[in-house]
Amino acid sequence: MRMRRGVGPVRAAVFFLVLAVAPTFGLAHWLLTMLVFTLMFAVMASAWNLLGGFTGYPSLGHVAFFGIGAYAVVLWFQHHDISSGYEPFLLLPAIGLGVALVGLPIAAIAMRTRADVFAIVTITLLFVGQTLAFNLRDITGGAQGASIVPAPFPADSYEIPFYDALVVLLAVSMGLTWATMRSKVGLSLAAVRMDEDKAAGIGVRVQTVKLLAFCVSVGLTAMIGGIWAYYEGFIYPQFAFDPLISVAMVLMTFLGGRATLWGPVLGAFILELAQQYFAYSLGGSRFYLIAYALVFLVVILVMPRGILPSVRDRLWRRGRRRIVDAQLPAGDGPL
Amino acid sequence: MTPLLEVDGVSRSFGSVPALVNASLTVERNSITALIGPNGSGKTTLFNVITGNLRADTGRVRFDGHDVTTARPAALYRRGLSRTYQQARVFSQLTVEENLVVAGGFGLAQLFGRRVNRRDRQRATELIDEFRLGRVADLPAAELSYGQRKLLEFAAVLMSSPTLILLDEPTAGVNPVLIETMEHHIRRLHAAGITFLIVEHDMNVVMRLCDPVVVLDQGREIFTGPPDAVREHPAVLDAYLGA
Repeated sequence: MRMRRGVGPVRAAVFFLVLAVAPTFGLAHWLLTMLVFTLMFAVMASAWNLLGGFTGYPSLGHVAFFGIGAYAVVLWFQHHDISSGYEPFLLLPAIGLGVALVGLPIAAIAMRTRADVFAIVTITLLFVGQTLAFNLRDITGGAQGASIVPAPFPADSYEIPFYDALVVLLAVSMGLTWATMRSKVGLSLAAVRMDEDKAAGIGVRVQTVKLLAFCVSVGLTAMIGGIWAYYEGFIYPQFAFDPLISVAMVLMTFLGGRATLWGPVLGAFILELAQQYFAYSLGGSRFYLIAYALVFLVVILVMPRGILPSVRDRLWRRGRRRIVDAQLPAGDGPL
Repeated sequence: MTPLLEVDGVSRSFGSVPALVNASLTVERNSITALIGPNGSGKTTLFNVITGNLRADTGRVRFDGHDVTTARPAALYRRGLSRTYQQARVFSQLTVEENLVVAGGFGLAQLFGRRVNRRDRQRATELIDEFRLGRVADLPAAELSYGQRKLLEFAAVLMSSPTLILLDEPTAGVNPVLIETMEHHIRRLHAAGITFLIVEHDMNVVMRLCDPVVVLDQGREIFTGPPDAVREHPAVLDAYLGA
């Protein structure tokens, strides 16, 4: 079941190399914009996977932290001058850390519930965030929205800095996921996901790893919120706290495969591109959402555990059959 | 020497249904004590109270001389009291080896270390060999047969170097060969100084393996004594046959 040594790092190197050099081929703006959004969702799905995939706590309120990150950037630069276009990006780690700390007490309370109850508890976070953004008018501008000084990047390469920042964040997010999988944190999270009570009974640091997963996950999500706000330049509560963003993170992870390194990224690339295509071809009506849902339904019907686990399973079973066939008739069944 | 485990007048109700009524039990060091009784007599509830999975309404539990009535399962586990479940509970998507490693217990400092390091592997391999799980060591536990899962759960319990092991129906639903295997392991570990408290329905196993036998009925203990005496005891016959 183990991957051959070296395949993983090579695959990652190729993937990030392609991402890094892609903009140098003079891609059209519409394509770059699409890639920027795809990368945003790839990072968020990857971050969501740490909690929803590895830990098995299906948060539907992650967009609340996305919104907090977005408003954090806007608020900061309403009161501070931007000396260079890159400054907001430098602020992101502080936002990530701050939101992770804010997430700690929230996680401590919300994670006393599990499964569907946890999902509902986290939905309330989304509405609390949205209501606050609408009503704290002095701070957020309410329904009128809030703006940030436009990024001073030249028009013909406006997307590039955002794109680069997102590639870095995707590397960070996937790096953290990889480190999690290889460490005892990942082992502990897997035990929590499969049987939390039993895990607690055998001395697994259940609470520590759960809170850690939550905080890292929401911290990363908030950083994407910050990039999004800077990219858009003008944000409204209903978009900064859009339930569809939460839903997208979940769908992408489920589609690609929960608790895998590449699943959420693959899911993001498929679903976000599909969504953009449908939104374009079906016009401004929200019909595109139906098409979007259909894509998801078809894949889940065919591969209920997501693309990567299903494919890996099939390959593994085929390989194993070959080994067993080769051993017959000498081999006897295990016990 | 104080007994390894003392349960003293424990009661526990679920709503208006009393599961344990003033139950008491003593497990001497290095004994194999059987806990038997008809269905619904409170055996598993008593296990859950001892291991801290359930709180007793009244009464005390002492383990190794310490009062552990309100201790959490993890704390007891670290102290050397571990258990298996009636339906073998293993982590289905973890491999056999990982199932063992995760049961080994590790502190905060080790949390960020390798998922399975050399020392973990060494310890796990010893148990995998002892329990002859080598052929399936790299398979996810979901691929194992029910009997193998029972063996795995038993092996995992040993990762924490326990002094007292509570086995909840170790031979239920497994084939005769595996029953012998289980017995063999219990005897072997007993000889190595580990104490057992076993819930078991197979009276043949109880007769061969255990001394003393504690009989529970309707939440209270009605008999404690050697296995030969238990079959003739009127209260026990009454509980089982409803005569």
